[in-house]
Amino acid sequence: MLAKRIARGHTDLHEISVALSLLDGVRKAALEQGVERVNAVHVRVGALSGIARDALLFSWDVATADSVAQGSELRIEEIPLVVFCEHCAGERAPLPGSGLLCPECGHASPRIVHGREMQLVAMEVPA
Amino acid sequence: MQNGHLDQLDATDARTVVLERAVLATNDALAAVNRQWFADRRIVALNLVSSPGSGKTTLLERTIRDLGADLPMVVIEGDQATENDSARIRAAGARALQVNTGTGCHLEAGIIGRALDVLAPQADSLVIIENVGNLVCPALFDLGERAKVAILSVTEGDDKPAKYPYMFAVADLLVINKIDLLPYVDFDVKRCIANARAVRPGLEAIAVSAKTGENMDAWYSWIRRSRVG
Ligand SMILES: Nc1nc2c(ncn2[C@@H]2O[C@H](COP(=O)(O)OP(=O)(O)OP(=O)(O)O)[C@@H](O)[C@H]2O)c(=O)[nH]1
Ligand SMILES: [Mg+2]
Ligand SMILES: [Zn+2]
Repeated sequence: MLAKRIARGHTDLHEISVALSLLDGVRKAALEQGVERVNAVHVRVGALSGIARDALLFSWDVATADSVAQGSELRIEEIPLVVFCEHCAGERAPLPGSGLLCPECGHASPRIVHGREMQLVAMEVPA
Repeated sequence: MQNGHLDQLDATDARTVVLERAVLATNDALAAVNRQWFADRRIVALNLVSSPGSGKTTLLERTIRDLGADLPMVVIEGDQATENDSARIRAAGARALQVNTGTGCHLEAGIIGRALDVLAPQADSLVIIENVGNLVCPALFDLGERAKVAILSVTEGDDKPAKYPYMFAVADLLVINKIDLLPYVDFDVKRCIANARAVRPGLEAIAVSAKTGENMDAWYSWIRRSRVG
């Protein structure tokens, strides 16, 4: 599926650079903590970040080879898009493919509450 | 034999280290360095983002020919495979550096910092960055620019901003290019702008033809204003 997306030109696998940035953060934290191994890494990824789950998992395996996080599990917490609709005064989850339109009243609601996240949340290391 | 190895894999034997930091923290920090570097020299940096083939290089070629004499410009080219784009920029009369994008789909702040060391743009000049043709990840990577300019050509469909909301939500200017082709395509400029403003209210929009030069003056005034602002 991934190969197909690359072939279609839909992705140039920017997840690779995201995975490398992630690994960068994990490496630093591992040094600070004095650990030589990381079992799992927890990330939070917003719906607007343009990150495809499969591609990020694949990229993580590639990026972490021969590193402190080799073989670690990447736990991806996907954060759905939530906007604040000023027209009907509430937080709303736009329907997929409808951009930032409020699903209740149809107004454009560009105040993004959730969906931009791209955070390195935590890592699990041997005790 | 079992001990050592197996113990480490035992979940009860693990501890969680809370990190809570931005994945792109390193890029963001380098972007802040670039931004300060530009500010110290009163340089305006523009980050041009679009799908492949929207006409970024053509727009720059004409801009250099029309403004280059009064306004010093350098161009950082993020094209992936070839040197074609930087050769075109040089032929138009500006200095250009083609940079390697690493993973290929976008430019990162560190690459721009190194390019600035090589190009050494003069104070009060304009630095234009032609990002890699892609509407997804260039939105995520801050380069330290003053403004992101999203370029959309009329052959791409006026619903593009709805399909790539994040890119248009972070854009500071929308340039609709190839308006000389409007008679041949089903593209409604007004609808396109409305779609873009649905994700970025008040987004300024300019419709041009980089090929014929139509309405390029609007783009040039925007550049001049961005240098004051
Ligand atoms: N008709 C028409 N064609 C244009 C216009 N601007 C660019 N083109 C053509 O569109 C094609 C792509 O233009 P480029 O300037 O190379 O586009 P680009 O965005 O730099 O492309 P990449 O760097 O490959 O992403 C070329 O054949 C240009 O001649 C325009 O305003 N009108
Ligand atoms: Mg180009
Ligand atoms: Zn609403």
